[in-house]
Amino acid sequence: MRPPAFRSPWLYTVVGIIITVVLLSPLYWVLMGSFMTQRELFSPHFSFWPREFMFQNWTTAVGRLWPHFATSAIVSVCTSTATLLITAPAAYAIVWLKVRGRGAILSFMLTSQMLPAIVFVIPLFVLFSRMDIVNTLPGLILGDMTFTVPFALVMLGAYLREFPYQLVEAALVDGAGQWRAFFSIVLPVTMTGIITVAIFSFLMPWGDLIFALSLITEAGLQPLTLELYKARGALGIDWSFLLAGSLLTALPAALFVVAASRFIVSGFTRGALH
Amino acid sequence: MKQLEAARTRVSPVPPAEHRPVPRRKAAWRRGLAPYTFILPILVFTLLLLAYPMFYSLTLSFQDATVDTFVSGDMPFNGFANYQQTLSTGTFWQALVNTIVFTFCSILFQFTIGFLLALFFQNRFPLKNVLIALLLIPWIAPVLTAAYTFKGLFNEVGPVNQVAHWFGIPSLPWLALPGFALAATIVANIWIGFPFNFILLYSGVCGIPQEIYEAARIDGASYWRRVGYITLPILKPVTVAVLMLGTIYTVKVFDLVWIMTGGGPANTSHLLSTYAYQVGFSLLNFGQAAAIATVIVVLILSLNLFQLLLQRK
Repeated sequence: MRPPAFRSPWLYTVVGIIITVVLLSPLYWVLMGSFMTQRELFSPHFSFWPREFMFQNWTTAVGRLWPHFATSAIVSVCTSTATLLITAPAAYAIVWLKVRGRGAILSFMLTSQMLPAIVFVIPLFVLFSRMDIVNTLPGLILGDMTFTVPFALVMLGAYLREFPYQLVEAALVDGAGQWRAFFSIVLPVTMTGIITVAIFSFLMPWGDLIFALSLITEAGLQPLTLELYKARGALGIDWSFLLAGSLLTALPAALFVVAASRFIVSGFTRGALH
Repeated sequence: MKQLEAARTRVSPVPPAEHRPVPRRKAAWRRGLAPYTFILPILVFTLLLLAYPMFYSLTLSFQDATVDTFVSGDMPFNGFANYQQTLSTGTFWQALVNTIVFTFCSILFQFTIGFLLALFFQNRFPLKNVLIALLLIPWIAPVLTAAYTFKGLFNEVGPVNQVAHWFGIPSLPWLALPGFALAATIVANIWIGFPFNFILLYSGVCGIPQEIYEAARIDGASYWRRVGYITLPILKPVTVAVLMLGTIYTVKVFDLVWIMTGGGPANTSHLLSTYAYQVGFSLLNFGQAAAIATVIVVLILSLNLFQLLLQRK
């Protein structure tokens, strides 16, 4: 649309920056607060800038959270990988290979996607207790997959609808099997979609609290979110640690936004609107 | 959508003509059964980890599954006792009302902010994409980050009170006051959700051809008239999708409220999800928790049905 008021596009940039700064100001407080002493953070007067940068907050947080960072990374990578392994071929077959019951699978997944985690957490906790896989990382990964799989299938389905199936037909004519065509043609052509879904299937378990909270009690197996949740101990909240830790938890998401914002934007508009 | 649908049927997988001699049986297998090997893993997963737990949750809601019976292993059926108990608890009704208020207020503000942002970013200007990416952070960062951020902001000695102090407003322990606690979680949830509304509406706005606006401008329509008579009507399908998805995401919220208030003070800020969790994992009454979960499922499914009916009209 033509600018209604401003002549120079840079004026829009200025207004845009102001809007962004205002909307992201909570994050500014967290960032600055993570370098303050708790006394300064919650003094009667608001401070825009730490009197003295307490880098110690960060070294403490990194030192204490490092093992949990690793646990979260393992869980998220495994969840994302397993999710793609089962959803990518399925999404392709559902969209293009006219398998029977594809409509049923798709609507079941859409329904599952709408249900809150609590619907799965309670029965899974009871079932996993019976099967003795509570308190194990595979148990947590399976739990996390109950929300990544429906999401990934729906989103990959949206991507694959735009896949030119003629390419596969040509390969089949040349004698390739469906699986070979899938790996050598479908996957490379839809790589953008796959990467986007992989990123989201990584970030979802990364930020998950409810499954970790219910399925993991052993301190050594706690992912990042759970460790931070438990940080509100009996002696009240250690805010210096918590603010640094919260930012550390947001790090992968922030990195992905910087590195792949284009994919992410196109990704979730597509996934959501189809 | 329609075009894609047409494209799909046009190039639907007709059995390809065989150029090379492939054994007939093998060829038949390829065409007939190979597709099912693609969906076998997800079928197994769906049955074991989605369908069976849903069913199990439903049966659990008719069982006496508390600490004692859970450990001993036999959880006797007790009819509708869990439901009766749930519906006769004040906290349940409070949580239901809270969920409705939480969802309605969140969506209203998220959508408004998202829509205004989409209108603003409809203009072309330098650094636009950088700003859009930055504005996505609240949505894409873990909920835990936002939850602790706002728990800190609304702290009794936190920034909100520090700023209120400038204006001579006395400090309030926001998260410890009934009513205010829920309001604080709504503010936090608006902050988490506005980027989602923004980006979907923005992609919708980008699809509107410039010529329409030009024509309206030449006819003398003011900016807000153009928004009201062009942008909004064209965005209607996107709006319906955004509101529907937003509602579903909001009804699912758990972490945010659980971290910020834990349902307190005095159970006044519970959502249905946090209440179900508390009944299940703090009070260890899995049967009743499953009953509350079933109520949530029924609510969401009827909401969905309602939307389908709306779309049909």
